[in-house]
Amino acid sequence: MTNEHDTHFGFKTVNEADKAKKVGEVFHSVASKYDLMNDVMSAGLHRGWKRFAVEISGVSQGDKILDIAGGSGDLSKLFAKKVGADGQVILTDINSSMLGVGRDRMLDAGLNVPALQCDAEKLPFPDNHFDCVIVAFGLRNMTHKDLALAEMQRVLKIGGRLLVLEFSKVWQPLSKLYDVYSFKLLPFMGKVLAKDSESYQYLAESIRMHPDQETLKQMMLDAGLSKVDYYNLAAGVVALHKGYKT
Amino acid sequence: MFKSIFTRLLQHLISQNSWTNSILQPFSGKSVQFNSGLMSASVVILDNGSLAIAGETNVADAIVTIPPSLLIRLIAKDESAKMQISIDGDTHLASELAKVFANMRWDYEDDLSKIVGDIPANKIGSITRDAVYSVKETSINLAEMLSEYWQEENPIIAKKRHLEEFNTQVDTLRSDVARFEKKLAQYLLQHQQKYPKNSDSNSSAVDNTH
Repeated sequence: MTNEHDTHFGFKTVNEADKAKKVGEVFHSVASKYDLMNDVMSAGLHRGWKRFAVEISGVSQGDKILDIAGGSGDLSKLFAKKVGADGQVILTDINSSMLGVGRDRMLDAGLNVPALQCDAEKLPFPDNHFDCVIVAFGLRNMTHKDLALAEMQRVLKIGGRLLVLEFSKVWQPLSKLYDVYSFKLLPFMGKVLAKDSESYQYLAESIRMHPDQETLKQMMLDAGLSKVDYYNLAAGVVALHKGYKT
Repeated sequence: MFKSIFTRLLQHLISQNSWTNSILQPFSGKSVQFNSGLMSASVVILDNGSLAIAGETNVADAIVTIPPSLLIRLIAKDESAKMQISIDGDTHLASELAKVFANMRWDYEDDLSKIVGDIPANKIGSITRDAVYSVKETSINLAEMLSEYWQEENPIIAKKRHLEEFNTQVDTLRSDVARFEKKLAQYLLQHQQKYPKNSDSNSSAVDNTH
């Protein structure tokens, strides 16, 4: 039996208060091998998806960017080059292990990108502050997605853009094949490469529980964003949603 | 996949033609759909004045329809073909974007120089330009020679002058027929007013003559 304080954790139902802790445990576990696994799982495609997100963002020199659930900092790195020395990129993540990996990467690359541990549902930034907010492969792990989207909308300037890059609903003819990949191959690769099949089982399940393209578009509209549009990438395995604050 | 590749190509072209930013930036967030019958694509203007292919649910602010028959004429830079392109919605936006596409140039020497270096890239560029120019010149000469032969020696195609004469005669005939039709309608009306009883049989007789 479920009650109003329950939420999903993959295919399991857990108390809302426990979800963040459980998601935290997953990412503490996979942090050190996160990028390697991403490369293996997506055959390197995640780099192209992230690059596409930066191209679609329309950011220019001097813009302020907020990278939410930025983890290992791939996007922050790309955005930092795009906004130049006059701009600012802030890397955030709720998970200290993931943020640690990202922060070290930024330092190693000689980039001045502040790393900040914070909850996307309670962003510690003023209203109307950023030109662009992006969350890549992070929204599905958030307990209250509606609250998180509303917070992202709040911190955007008028005319600012919110980009959500996330796994989504795959093109129907490929769904069977994708299921085999997600529930058989993915946990197996997690076991072999990261010695952690459970975490990768959760990743596969959380992808299935995440809203599809149209539902997420509606959620963004409900959060106060306008002109929301999305791009299906790799036949809908991933979708990039973009909305404006007007 | 294709959207990502086309977006990258568009943004690369825009970065080589920085003059386009000031034209496009006032329209940021707006999109234009291009329909050619064979294919359709929507282009969205980004906040930094760059371009990207629009997403799945984009609603275009302007729609440019180019009939497939016009494509070859447009490629051949036939100015009169531009008059037949139809634009719906925000015409100012569509015409500014069309202006950008018409004047944008691919600086292939610059791209090549990143692979082979400046001097070889310049050399390859000038050789390619010369080759294209000589192919173009040869094609024009050949076409002129053949048309002259088929007009003078073995006349199977009409001369421009004859075609123009024929067109003028057709125009004159068309206006004469139109005048005759009006005159005939006038006579029929007068006849109808004069002999109202016989009008039906007369008009059917006229219809049969058509």
